[in-house]
Amino acid sequence: MKHRQEFLAIAVIAAVFALTGCRDSSSAEEPNEMVLHHALATRLTGLDPGDQRNVTALTIKSQIFEPLYQYHFLKRPYQLVPLLAEDMPEISDDKLTYTIKIKKGVYFQDDECFRSGKGREVKAEDFVFAIKRIANIKNLSQNWSIFDDKIVGLDEFREYTKSCERREDVDYSREVEGLQTPDDYTLVIKLKRPWPQLLTYALSDTATAPVTKEAIDFYGKDIISHPVGTGPFRLKEWRRRSYIVLVRNPTFRGEAYPSEGEAGDAEAGYLNDAGKTMPFADKVVWTVIEEDQPRWFLFLQGKLDSSVIPKDNWSEVITGSSELTAEMKRRGIHLKTFLDPTTFFLGFNMQDPVLGNNRPLRLAISRAIDREKFIELFRNNRDVVAHGIIPPLIASYDAQIKEKGYARYDPEEARSLLKEAEKVHGGKLPTLKIGMPGTDTFFRQFGQFFKRQLEAVNLDVGIEYMDGPTYWEKLHTRSLQMFASGMGATLPDAQDLLQSFYSKFWAPGSNSFNYANPEFDSLYEKIAVMFDSPERRELYRKMELIVLEDCPAAFLNHRVAYSLHHDWYKNYKPNVFTQGLSKYRKIDMKKRAEYKELLKRIK
Amino acid sequence: MTTYIIRRLLYTIPIVFGVLLLTFVLFTLVGGDISIEIAGKNATAETIEEIREEYGLNKPLFLSWDSQFINHFKNALTFDFGRARDREPVIDKIKRGVGPSLALTVPMFLGIMIISVSLSLVVAFVRGSVWDILAVVICIIGMSIPYLSFILFGQYFLAYKWGLFPVFFSPDLSTAQYVTLPVLIGIVTGLGSNLRFYRTVMLDEMRSDYVRTAFAKGLTTRRVLFKHVLKNAMIPIITRVVLAIPFLFLGSLLLERFFGIPGLGYLMIEAIGSRDYFVINAMTYISAILFVVFNVITDICYAWVDPRVSFE
Repeated sequence: MKHRQEFLAIAVIAAVFALTGCRDSSSAEEPNEMVLHHALATRLTGLDPGDQRNVTALTIKSQIFEPLYQYHFLKRPYQLVPLLAEDMPEISDDKLTYTIKIKKGVYFQDDECFRSGKGREVKAEDFVFAIKRIANIKNLSQNWSIFDDKIVGLDEFREYTKSCERREDVDYSREVEGLQTPDDYTLVIKLKRPWPQLLTYALSDTATAPVTKEAIDFYGKDIISHPVGTGPFRLKEWRRRSYIVLVRNPTFRGEAYPSEGEAGDAEAGYLNDAGKTMPFADKVVWTVIEEDQPRWFLFLQGKLDSSVIPKDNWSEVITGSSELTAEMKRRGIHLKTFLDPTTFFLGFNMQDPVLGNNRPLRLAISRAIDREKFIELFRNNRDVVAHGIIPPLIASYDAQIKEKGYARYDPEEARSLLKEAEKVHGGKLPTLKIGMPGTDTFFRQFGQFFKRQLEAVNLDVGIEYMDGPTYWEKLHTRSLQMFASGMGATLPDAQDLLQSFYSKFWAPGSNSFNYANPEFDSLYEKIAVMFDSPERRELYRKMELIVLEDCPAAFLNHRVAYSLHHDWYKNYKPNVFTQGLSKYRKIDMKKRAEYKELLKRIK
Repeated sequence: MTTYIIRRLLYTIPIVFGVLLLTFVLFTLVGGDISIEIAGKNATAETIEEIREEYGLNKPLFLSWDSQFINHFKNALTFDFGRARDREPVIDKIKRGVGPSLALTVPMFLGIMIISVSLSLVVAFVRGSVWDILAVVICIIGMSIPYLSFILFGQYFLAYKWGLFPVFFSPDLSTAQYVTLPVLIGIVTGLGSNLRFYRTVMLDEMRSDYVRTAFAKGLTTRRVLFKHVLKNAMIPIITRVVLAIPFLFLGSLLLERFFGIPGLGYLMIEAIGSRDYFVINAMTYISAILFVVFNVITDICYAWVDPRVSFE
């Protein structure tokens, strides 16, 4: 009784620990189990293949769901190859009808949504169902823009779904003329007009992976946390905002590791596993780690296989000559650098009364920005200056575009352009506003950089810092005057970037600049139905120049990614257009064990 | 006493109503429309309209029986918080986050309370001595160093460099393993202000006549401090301690984020960042109720520890 209070305190603490659970044995790692350990910088929001287009969701979903086509893991330039399709499609002469044979012997993973608990074979109808789900307006899918006004009869199906009270009331057996299944293994897609990106954009996207109706009926709205796919991995555990564990799908049909790649792949060891059956890993664990410090420590402790380089640790990792430091080499860490298909810019709202009608003002802003300084300050000198819209990774990139000088830094010219701009404006220019999509130190430094650069040429600028959702709302409602942003291509085709300047895609569409140029629009409509050819590439370049002349943005940089990985992490060849890469990855278990020994020695 | 409790509980109705009104006005009128953001890139106007329909954003704000505010009010009263923006039921998110948050905040709270109250008795007893001055200086230093610095240094030295604790949450760790370091950091950061507060309380009591009398009667120091001084200092202690309990539910944002603890602090900040009003509303409402209830409990405790306090 004397120590009653002490006992009480200890009992309360013990009870809290007991109530909140102890070790989660279901996720514990078995010895000799090949586990890939990754970090996610943002949480996963859902695993419905028909919805969610953020990078995190696509990364996880693409390990579970498989579309008809995928990009070859090793070959460059990027080449599309069949995944669930038996072969490349038969395309009619008028380019309007695609006939796709589907692989036999592909099964959905076992799941309780099936009557026997055993996954059934995938049929062509499952692909049709997946696309119809996206068209069903009640599902509020973010993927509808992929199919909007493309497939014969699909827009009418969407119209029909509007009349349904609930998403469950939609009759998916209702026929869509452009989505036919003559037999269980043949899918016929009929287009309203030629659509060159059908394969590269739509049919290689997880959004079009087959979906089983049994799962949708069984799980209803909870389908977001019960993915039933055909891929190499299946969901074992998802603790929201914390971690996600995928395990090898025991009923996966198996897929052979590529036997050929590009020059240098064999020397780099990328062909060591040629012909072997994938996946290699037994389990993949993603942990949500939003802060740089713990993510970096876990990587150095060998608890993550790969990592980006945190801004504050740059000098610890990379020398002045852009190589790995001796310490990183001693740890057996490797560096991969590769071009990202991205373009970052300071955008102008072309519907703004001050900026929209004043080309000299926009040009002055562009000339006033020292892009090299920007890259040095904010990107540790690793990016390349964006002289245009199309990044160097894309085939239609113009290697001579630098000579045209659209990204030149010329404060003198900027000052004289500003005088011209004042004449156009009819007096002194008002203070301009730049919207920043964040309020933290990084964005404040970012904003200060622009402010300083523009004030150096006597242009008054105010920076508006706001949280992400406020920024996007203002951008979508066309209420920002200038905005710092970026765009990335999801396929190796410049059309994906150029669409951001098409006038029919004004905000809330991808044309956040609210830019319009009839000549550009007419060329866009032309290339939208053209297949890849030297002529189309020339048109891309012409369109790029039209935009650069009109200057709806000051294009800043194309990102170059720096990625680190441990020596034991194999088959880590960067592939920026494919997310379902875990099946290729492999762990050298011996080397991973040796790293633990190395850490002890370092200590 | 029963009448008093009932009366106090009735007072909670306008308070909770006020909280509901405030959150609704803040997030509906000031926060803006979330449907465009949910719709994603290149969404058509009809998709945006459908989202507004799904989330009830196309209904009148106030002046209707089916208005957004009445629905907001009804849902809160029935604890039906609906689904979050990622379509998971809000209540499931809260249930899942409560455990990790409490595993972090309850030991922190108890640790801070026990250590700071005990130490405050000691430093108050040796007031004016070098130990007292040292304790005050350490407290002030502790209060002056930013919370984040304790986390960064603790994680670097104790977890990464010396390997005494895990750096971050991992599925194969037990709760005790992954919360120990954040709990220790939380206790260290919380000690400064608490020790200073309790020291002041104890000093007031130490100067009372009954303490001198107790020592004059020959009672041991331990008995005087823990039996008499502590008991008489209970009113301010209870006020501080009981009113802190509802906040335990809210977890600790920075600790949860840096150590990967999937608690409610993290959930709340994420909800604010992504304008998930459904989660914010539920969390605010539950916090308000807890706060009001613990206020009543505080009053009851006053009477329990001090017979001079009456419910009349």
